Amino acid sequence: MRRLTLARTVAAALTADDIVICSLGSAGRAWREAAAPNLTYYASDPMGMAPSLALGFALARPGDRVTLIEGDGDLAMNLGVLAAIAGAAPPNLRVVVFANGRYETGGGQTLAGRLDLAAAAKACGWERAESPPEDAGEADVADAVRRMYAAGGPAMVVQAVEPEASPYPEAGRWSQAEDKAVFQRELAAREQLGGRS
Amino acid sequence: MNTGHATTGHATTGHATTGRPPGRDPAALLLTALRDADISVVASLPDSWLSPLLTAVDADARMRHVKVTREDDALGVAAGVALAGGLGAVVCQNAGLLVGANALAGYTHLHELPLLVVAAQRGDVDDGFYYQAYKGRVVPPVLDALGVPYHRMRGGADPGLVTAAAGQARLHRRPVVLLLDRESLLGEAAR
Repeated sequence: MRRLTLARTVAAALTADDIVICSLGSAGRAWREAAAPNLTYYASDPMGMAPSLALGFALARPGDRVTLIEGDGDLAMNLGVLAAIAGAAPPNLRVVVFANGRYETGGGQTLAGRLDLAAAAKACGWERAESPPEDAGEADVADAVRRMYAAGGPAMVVQAVEPEASPYPEAGRWSQAEDKAVFQRELAAREQLGGRS
Repeated sequence: MNTGHATTGHATTGHATTGRPPGRDPAALLLTALRDADISVVASLPDSWLSPLLTAVDADARMRHVKVTREDDALGVAAGVALAGGLGAVVCQNAGLLVGANALAGYTHLHELPLLVVAAQRGDVDDGFYYQAYKGRVVPPVLDALGVPYHRMRGGADPGLVTAAAGQARLHRRPVVLLLDRESLLGEAAR
């Protein structure tokens, strides 16, 4: 499966009120390319920190469903966060891991080891972590994503995606702090509208 | 880089030594101060000096206590609370700030996300273990290098300093660190 197809599959499963947090790298860029209308924070650096950021955000906004668009390289940097999320068990957090087995933006270097991230999540206490086969079709992956949202959180889908070159994009115009301010202002505007978009 | 942080860190030394009621439970004082600062999420890793405070956090139904496996994740959790518009706290040993240096720098300089760290300042003059000593020497200059404001709490729990540091974090949109000595965390039991 191409990573853009996976991003579009996730986007199709979201409601308008879902909030998305993206890790750095090609998974986040696929999400940007999918052009979903959902309020999204692109977490950027430091690498490995997106899951705990999403955890804290989900705990602070229990009324919002939060989806983390995660890369396998980002998660591999910090497997311990799987235990932290399992322990906190926020019912409103879902994680979709784009697993291409390599550091795409860094030049395509392969990850260490032979990671089975869904198995690692289950071993850490996640109730639901599913990893459809590498050659799964779009309908099967969409079913897995639906099951993830139907389950109690936290829940995860790890989907193998094809390696596709993802060189550094052009430098963005806005800083992360400026993007954060826009994101937070949109959140505040939601609250003024009664908590929902 | 603005090196005013070094001044900040040392200028507040001794701030904590006046106006505190003697003999009160420091964990209860610190917990109340965290609550008064509208902090309801605490992410932690333990240290023996932090045990009373973490027990108090666990026992408080108004506090959400998140246990992590590395201190940078505690910083990430608190940063996520900040992204949602709140303020979260990290409770850890000072060595955890060395583990979390990249996260601290990122939230200070890149995202500008406020959070409050309550750290046991191991390895200072009140700590009798050689293996802790490097932490006492290394952590303050590392925080200076990271551009992270920090304040020392010495001689007993000082709720006012917790409140002030939380306010500084919000105002500056940056992490702020409190480095607490043994007596500030353990009270009379430290003597």
